[in-house]
Amino acid sequence: MNKITEIADESGDKYKYGFVTDIEAETVPKGLNADIIRLISAKKGEPEWLLDWRLKAFEFWQGMTEPTWAKLKYDKIDYQDLYYYSAPKQKKAPKSLAEVDKNLLETYDKLGIPLKEQEALAGVVAVDAVFDSVSVATTYRAKLAEKGVIFCSISEAVREHPDLVRRYLGSVVPYTDNFFACLNSAVFTDGSFVYIPKGVRCPMELSTYFRINARNTGQFERTLIIADEDSYVSYLEGCTAPQRDENQLHAAIVEIVVLQNAEVKYSTVQNWYPGDKDGKGGVYNFVTKRAACRGNDSKVSWTQVETGSAVTWKYPSCILQGDRSVGEFYSVAVTNNYQQADTGTKMIHLGRDTTSKIISKGISAGFSNQTYRGLVKIGPGAVNARNYSQCDSLLIGQNCGSHTVPYIENRNKTAKIEHEATTSKISDEQLFYCQSRGIGEEEAVSLIVNGFCKEVMQHLPMEFAIEAAKLINISLEGSVG
Amino acid sequence: MSGLLQHINFPGEEIPWLRDMRCRAAAAFASAGVPTAKVEAWKYTKPRGLNTNDFVVSLPSSQLTKVKPKLPFEAYTIYFENGIFNPALSNLPQGVEVLPLIEALMFRPEIRPLVNAETDFAAYPFAALNTAYLNEGVFIRIDSRVELKKKLAIIYHTDAAGRNLLCNLHNLVILEEGASAELVEYYCYDGELKSRYLTNVVNEFYLRRGAFLHHYKVQNEAFKAAHIALNLVDVAKDGGYCAFCLQKGADIARNETRVRLKDEGASAEVDAVYVMNGWATLDTTTDIEHLAPCTVSHQLVKGVVGGNAKGVFQGKIHIAPGAVRTEGTQLHKALLLTDAAEVDVKPELEIFADDVKCSHGAASGELDEEQLFYMRSRGIGEGEARQLLIDAYLDDAISKIEDENIARWITLEAK
Repeated sequence: MNKITEIADESGDKYKYGFVTDIEAETVPKGLNADIIRLISAKKGEPEWLLDWRLKAFEFWQGMTEPTWAKLKYDKIDYQDLYYYSAPKQKKAPKSLAEVDKNLLETYDKLGIPLKEQEALAGVVAVDAVFDSVSVATTYRAKLAEKGVIFCSISEAVREHPDLVRRYLGSVVPYTDNFFACLNSAVFTDGSFVYIPKGVRCPMELSTYFRINARNTGQFERTLIIADEDSYVSYLEGCTAPQRDENQLHAAIVEIVVLQNAEVKYSTVQNWYPGDKDGKGGVYNFVTKRAACRGNDSKVSWTQVETGSAVTWKYPSCILQGDRSVGEFYSVAVTNNYQQADTGTKMIHLGRDTTSKIISKGISAGFSNQTYRGLVKIGPGAVNARNYSQCDSLLIGQNCGSHTVPYIENRNKTAKIEHEATTSKISDEQLFYCQSRGIGEEEAVSLIVNGFCKEVMQHLPMEFAIEAAKLINISLEGSVG
Repeated sequence: MSGLLQHINFPGEEIPWLRDMRCRAAAAFASAGVPTAKVEAWKYTKPRGLNTNDFVVSLPSSQLTKVKPKLPFEAYTIYFENGIFNPALSNLPQGVEVLPLIEALMFRPEIRPLVNAETDFAAYPFAALNTAYLNEGVFIRIDSRVELKKKLAIIYHTDAAGRNLLCNLHNLVILEEGASAELVEYYCYDGELKSRYLTNVVNEFYLRRGAFLHHYKVQNEAFKAAHIALNLVDVAKDGGYCAFCLQKGADIARNETRVRLKDEGASAEVDAVYVMNGWATLDTTTDIEHLAPCTVSHQLVKGVVGGNAKGVFQGKIHIAPGAVRTEGTQLHKALLLTDAAEVDVKPELEIFADDVKCSHGAASGELDEEQLFYMRSRGIGEGEARQLLIDAYLDDAISKIEDENIARWITLEAK
């Protein structure tokens, strides 16, 4: 019974991560109420304070309404028709990788995520693998511990480093923040926790790999990254889900705290199942990501490549509190078929001499719709703040839409803000130029698209960049001609 | 403001069409109310105070002033005093139909469908309020291939008798095929006017095939006034709409322009400048809809914000499916002069066709210290140097006005 089931590729889709791992799972009953939350909390052996916090969030959530301002159309989500916890059944908690269920290891292998530490390429990346609701393995922990770096699942962090978690959890994204963040706060099941101590440059890249497997299960993970003074970490996030006809809900939170002179680089390649070519199925991706540059001279950079999900609602943000802090946002979003994405960033300048840069590249094809929605806010105290934003959109085909809605709020005269946006299609001249030199149409499009995205891609770590470039090409396959 | 929706027996109540439309509009306004910051379109411009103050709908009175503001260029004039048309002071052109809107609606049923033809009252609460009291305003029709020799100026003058008035004005302008005209709107007040009033204007412009309209507007309302203007422009094949608006008065003001480029070759140029001080909020909102292929639009908006004032710009370019080979550009720039000044900008591109060229840009900053220093070092006083830089900043936009007289007038008004 324990094997990985291939799903026949009937629709001709190119989503190669669409398989389902047939593994016995432990789930809690369907639906959402205070008892379910108590049950999740009990399963995870959480302390009283965390349960209280969850219940407060749940109570608050019940009074909230789902936001409708985004340019997204999707069927109403029935929050009572979901499982809020699903974990692969393991006899006992694995003490080392050798004890992790072979099936799970195989799954990650198949996804190209090496959980075996000895593998050559993997030597540079430590991985926290999250399968449905729980973290199944974290690699290289011993090696990281030597430097004092804590990298584990957030459930473990709650048990082993409760002071850190309690101090920072919800400090960047409070549970009252928004509808989906509030839901996440009530029901989050797992995620990664990173703490980089003072003065430490994390010796390798850290990575979380999220996988949704079970049917009708919402995934609600929560990542908390704390970069203490003078530290540095580069963090990667990847995600996939099986190909299913029904929509799956994913509502995650990433909180980053950056203290004085520290730097965090957060890269995402989001490749949730986008639905088939008729828009059936796919993941609803409602994510709240926010970094607080609390210390002076701190820096955060978000890089994202968004190719997956049927619906994306995501605005990685930077709160630039410390003087001279820096926020960066580099994004490539690709939508094809009936995908919809409403994504962008928020740069909130509060400290003096803060700078931010936004480079967003959107590519829409097929019948998809994409919106860049961003906010640049300069507070009265942000003397000499500087922002530069550039949002370019590329349209492929007659039936897609591309929209840009930047909000700019300036309350300080010394701030310099520049925003540029353009929308165009791949010009016939460019195509003709390539084709006249013997490059096929598809290849020419891919060449032009890669050039269009280059500015963002160069901010990704190398292995990720190669993977991301491939993904973009796969996502756009068949959109020309 | 709900108390305002009293029933007034305006002319035309006996026409079912008109009565129904007024009722519909009144109901829409009553249910929507004055928009709050929660309404996306009014996120930055809060029509503060409009709820609580009791405005009185302006009604004709027998007392009419004899003085009228002068314009520094030759023009036919249509004169409104405290929201009421004053034919005695007007100087109407020959060979052009100009009559009070209400008369036109009563006796020319064929133009009725043009009024609020595409206005969703729920989305435009002030247009609903305007229509609930639909009465004042003019109907102008310029015949095919007629070119107005002189400019046509509409002067809206408010004096001390305008205290707490709600002036609802609705103008309907039709330029038939190949016609062209220059329309000037001038909102001004008597020097002594220190009270509140609300000017609520809706202009509907229909530009038929090949027609061309220049629309210049200077908004210089009294400093406690509120000014809400909605310009609805409908441009047919090869028609052109070219607008320039200077806003400097009022406590709270919005000049909103929605242009629909309905057929090939239609074009729009919507430029504006705003100059502000004190506690004012001045808002420029545009919505350019490219509904057909080969349509072009350009926008340039520049603002200078001082005091505790707040400048708002919301600009939207919409490209409908199939509207290919279109071009839409937009640029907004603001200069902040003081620590308490604020500028909020929301440009928006909404694009549903692939073969388009669209761009928007936004920038804001303060006066360049180096430029100031350069002038100071050449013996120019600080105040003068600043003013020179501000003038130069605005001139970028004002110099786009082709008509010298108008450009000169607007430059003077902007000081």
